[in-house]
Amino acid sequence: MTGLSVGEKLFIQGGIAQDLRTDGRKRLTYRPIYVETGVIPQANGSARVRLGGTDVIASVKAEIGRPSPMQPDKGKVAIYVSCSPTAAPMFEGRGDEELSAELSIALQRCLLGGKSGAGAGIDLSSLVVVEGKVCWDLYIDGLVVSSDGNLLDALGAAVKAALSNTGIPRVQVAADTTGEDQPEVDISDEEFLQFDTSNLPVIVTLTKVGRHYIVDATSEEESQMSSAVSISINRRGHTCGLSKRGGAGLDPSVILDMISVAKHVSEQLMNKLDSEISAAEAIEDDS
Amino acid sequence: MEYVSPEGLRIDGRRPMEMRKLHAEMGVVAKADGSAVFVMGNTKVIAAVYGPREVQNRSQQMSDQALVRCEYSMANFSTGDRMRKGKGDRRSTEISLVVRQTMEACILTHLMPRSQIDIYVQVLQADGGTRCACINAATLALADAAIPMRDLVTSCSAGYLNSTPLLDLNYVEDSAGGPDVTVGILPKMDKVTLLQMDSKLPIDTFDNVMQLAIEGCKAVATYIREVLLENTKQLEYHRGV
Repeated sequence: MTGLSVGEKLFIQGGIAQDLRTDGRKRLTYRPIYVETGVIPQANGSARVRLGGTDVIASVKAEIGRPSPMQPDKGKVAIYVSCSPTAAPMFEGRGDEELSAELSIALQRCLLGGKSGAGAGIDLSSLVVVEGKVCWDLYIDGLVVSSDGNLLDALGAAVKAALSNTGIPRVQVAADTTGEDQPEVDISDEEFLQFDTSNLPVIVTLTKVGRHYIVDATSEEESQMSSAVSISINRRGHTCGLSKRGGAGLDPSVILDMISVAKHVSEQLMNKLDSEISAAEAIEDDS
Repeated sequence: MEYVSPEGLRIDGRRPMEMRKLHAEMGVVAKADGSAVFVMGNTKVIAAVYGPREVQNRSQQMSDQALVRCEYSMANFSTGDRMRKGKGDRRSTEISLVVRQTMEACILTHLMPRSQIDIYVQVLQADGGTRCACINAATLALADAAIPMRDLVTSCSAGYLNSTPLLDLNYVEDSAGGPDVTVGILPKMDKVTLLQMDSKLPIDTFDNVMQLAIEGCKAVATYIREVLLENTKQLEYHRGV
């Protein structure tokens, strides 16, 4: 983002202080969100989410793999994000690595829970085919096509939409699975199991500008932030993950306050997103 | 393997001289100065143009013309098997170079001295003919960014399998090992700006295949012109003219 003048900075900050932002929104209003599913036919599931000028694509590919010996009853999920140079010239060459890594880690933290896989938004045990031997490996790839702030929330929404669009092939396992060697599997290319995404959290990022915090900041507003907290919250209102970015320190009571605000905002976002996803899938089924 | 059935149909049901379905849209990346998405069948490419703007690296600045740069990247999910490759492998570097040289040949660089134009192409889905799609997308994106050009550049590929010249190869046909001729032309000036071929081909057959590819380029040019016209009409409408 190219530099803003002093006047523009003051205008943004003043607007946020008066609860009327430069694009006419209130502090806790999202930009309109558009969801399109099935955009990548080669993938098992995919979705494109647009949030104002921000445009991201998420795809899910499932491959047969082996569960890790530490967790024989769980499948594996990997999340990678990359930022296309189309979004900003600074992502050219290796310029995107830092932001891509930051977004990948933040998404993993918000969706996959701890190292043991406990508390994950994605139900890892549903990915097991034969315990200890065969499981599904899910590769979730995010791509930032156009960037106008609030990438993490958009990516979170895209991953949620892509997962609900995902069909995992039904697997037939050969009967004798007692031996040591890898059992033979037969992957159906007609029958698919729908992935349960009802417990998948949404991510709400609260960006602190001046004394107030806002949701869904544009890149101009993000350039004025002192710090940002991303909170992932599921349908039941449980916090599934949290990460703080930005330099300035936050008062612990402010963080608690932010979490309760995020919880309130997440309900609206979740409902909006769910209706957008089902609308997108209806359109996809028709065509 | 049989790539053309006795009835004269290809694997995906096309006739030998038929192109895949084309679709293009302009202005898809809000923050870029110009952008376009170009779809050829299952191949889908986004191009974004930034510039003309100040040269970022002073030592590359030229006092008599603009600096044109290009970067090609493929999304992890773009191919059938998921890949985890970093940017800047040899293939990407080569395609970046090809696209840059082709576009540089048609941009009126002498009108914008001391400035830089960046073209970024991102492959979302790869199903053969990515470099053609990249060039077509880049042309539209440059037009969207209102960068002066001599002519549109359009590109299309053709091959030769089962003793039949085939237009616009898809991935399966491309990896069949036969010759793959990629041509880029300036349709109004009737000049070839890009020509690549791998594998060998008798010279009189080559002429046929190249002519077919040129016909493909002209068809693409007609479509691109339609898209541009439609886009201009929309702009006019939004201005209330």
